[in-house]
Amino acid sequence: MNYKKPGKNRGEGRDVTNDPLGNNSEIGRKLKQYYDELLTPEIPDRFSKLLQELEKHELPQSATEE
Amino acid sequence: MTQPQNFRDGLLAAVPTLRAFAVSLSKNADRADDLVQETLVKAWDKQASFQPGTNLKAWLFTILRNEFYSQMRKRRREVEDSDGAITARLSVHPAQDGSSDLNDFRKALELLPEDQREAIILIGASGFSYEEAAEICGCAVGTIKSRVSRARTRLQEILGISGEGDFGPDPVTAQITSTIVA
Repeated sequence: MNYKKPGKNRGEGRDVTNDPLGNNSEIGRKLKQYYDELLTPEIPDRFSKLLQELEKHELPQSATEE
Repeated sequence: MTQPQNFRDGLLAAVPTLRAFAVSLSKNADRADDLVQETLVKAWDKQASFQPGTNLKAWLFTILRNEFYSQMRKRRREVEDSDGAITARLSVHPAQDGSSDLNDFRKALELLPEDQREAIILIGASGFSYEEAAEICGCAVGTIKSRVSRARTRLQEILGISGEGDFGPDPVTAQITSTIVA
């Protein structure tokens, strides 16, 4: 594999074909696999309830907890 | 993103990716959810400072990251005050299933310094550009690039993966070169 060095493709975001963490990279694939496993689509009730509470009150109690 | 309703929906939709990032940072599922909760509360309070039309996900990641580091500083002070018992508990992994291959990868990832771990996650997994990651971490684009590069090299070394040495000599070549020079 003949990758470009980082820093040569500035400004244009990611160079997909030479992406050092793209699908051609074992580390890149494992990283995505690891992250996908953490990405559970369900949103626990505590978060939807929290946002409902935040919407009801301008200054929620939990914000002043610390 | 101008109406509160949409802002709330945006926050809610971001929860899964915030949780994933929080687990990768904190290495602990319970702490991760507390981080996400604190992030949502802070985001709500700072709602006025969010510019509609800009990247909500990046904005939320920035808040979560700042929260993580401020909690970590607090914890470090607590750890210094104790006899080290907390230190042992901090590194407990969440019980996770999955292939041993993936477990090895997770352990390797946890060995990285925080700055490298977050950089490689933001770029390689969360789908941010180098520019966005630099903004989230409050550093230069070049700094993110070098952190990602070092993280990747380190992971390859730990996991014994070779043949991807595109940022310079691979470990074997590097060793041969240094032997010759020495």
